[in-house]
Amino acid sequence: MLLIHCPYCDEKRPEIEFAYGGEAHIARPHDPSTLNDEEWEGHLFIRSNPRGRHHERWRHIHGCGRFFNAVRDTVTDKFETTYKAGEPRR
Amino acid sequence: MADSLHRASPLPGGTVTLEGATLSAAPEMGRYSLRARDPAALAALIGRELPDAIGACSGGIARLGPDEFYALLPAQDALPSGEGGPVSIVDVSARAVGIVVEGAGAARAIMAGCPLDLDRMQPGRATRTVFEGVEILLVRETETRFQIDVWRSFASWLWRSLAGVNAA
Repeated sequence: MLLIHCPYCDEKRPEIEFAYGGEAHIARPHDPSTLNDEEWEGHLFIRSNPRGRHHERWRHIHGCGRFFNAVRDTVTDKFETTYKAGEPRR
Repeated sequence: MADSLHRASPLPGGTVTLEGATLSAAPEMGRYSLRARDPAALAALIGRELPDAIGACSGGIARLGPDEFYALLPAQDALPSGEGGPVSIVDVSARAVGIVVEGAGAARAIMAGCPLDLDRMQPGRATRTVFEGVEILLVRETETRFQIDVWRSFASWLWRSLAGVNAA
């Protein structure tokens, strides 16, 4: 069983309690109406999809309910670290 | 008129005996979902102490998350509405029912469907988790006594599942 450390509960919890939330640190444009179609498409759909270290959002939905960020290796599926939402990128 | 209204439990009555544990329905309780960015304001408003750590449970109130608490109180206890305060106090008594699993084999019986390591869960801890695919609130009241709070619509399934996977 894959255990994920929840930075709010400060415990390792089973993966089944969590939901994946896509790539992290994607800032919504301040004024979307000034974007052209290509920029808007980039914001909505284009993700980095790296091989290796990936910053991503997870939600401890069947636990404390909080979103947090994690660094996971997409090759080995190992979690390097997790940290609270709002903290700087690691 | 209103005298004829009563809440029917989705659980069958009586007790089921499992390996080293018994399964029974918890008495009717008052349940409140409490939310507050500032727990001190909430504590002052309801006049009760709130647990500091996420996962802790004291005085019938469990801390589920940074700003979320869940109160499991005797049915006659009522909390103020919190109107006007920077908090949310919602009576969700009818949303869930309680199942009590008690006995030396209680942790084992629950771990049949719950991925948490209950050997490491101390008495006095409470957390939201899952049993098979169903979300539950698990409270470890003592070493050998657990209360599971589950939404009504899942309750009869959960009861049969607990009884079934642990059938002696």
